[in-house]
Amino acid sequence: MDVITKKELDLVALLQQSHCPTAGAVVLFSGEVRNHNSGKQVKYLEYEAHTSMATKMIDEILQSARTRWNLSIALAQHRIGKVKITESAVVVITASVHRGEAYASNRYVIDRIKHEVPIWKCEYLEDGSKEWGGNCNCHKETGDVNKHVYEFEVL
Amino acid sequence: MRIQVFAVLKDFFKKEFELSANISNIADLRRYLSLENPNAAMVLNRCRFAVQDEFVTDQYPLTGDEHIVVIPPSSGG
Repeated sequence: MDVITKKELDLVALLQQSHCPTAGAVVLFSGEVRNHNSGKQVKYLEYEAHTSMATKMIDEILQSARTRWNLSIALAQHRIGKVKITESAVVVITASVHRGEAYASNRYVIDRIKHEVPIWKCEYLEDGSKEWGGNCNCHKETGDVNKHVYEFEVL
Repeated sequence: MRIQVFAVLKDFFKKEFELSANISNIADLRRYLSLENPNAAMVLNRCRFAVQDEFVTDQYPLTGDEHIVVIPPSSGG
């Protein structure tokens, strides 16, 4: 499976691959394109990635989650190119013995992907304009572009 | 050295370009690019830089043969 793909994400097929005899809990997160952001109407998004780095970094994040929560399964896939409203841009699946680890690790993986991995979205708006949006702004708080404030640590 | 930029930086620079200026480290490169295009300075200050697909610090020395990737703040997901 390509971690970064131009193809539509097949959530059903990915979930089907994620059943495991040792896992009593499977969590699937799908990050989907919505039709509004910051009060503006969004027509669609275009994602781009530095594919080789993004693939390697997502693999490392998944491995870190597997070790930290002793997961049976951890996978993630991110789409690039044009993604339409309601389509999935990113999917993360985690499977573990109990639900606590599956939820926590899933949150960890998606938060680290959003903050760290070289993937970017460009919003194409209904008014015809475009905006590179939703950037990680953690440096404002941490003073360091390599240090982040993760939601999984704050909640 | 070969420079590759992504995302919003493509509004300010070519996607890939060669640089032959005398640049000794990443901090110098950040300054050079900011002077080349002052409108990109704010974004460049928030960028990470990578050489051979590995993030490097501002002090990373450059010889001129590197492929350097300039990475704006992430916005995936």
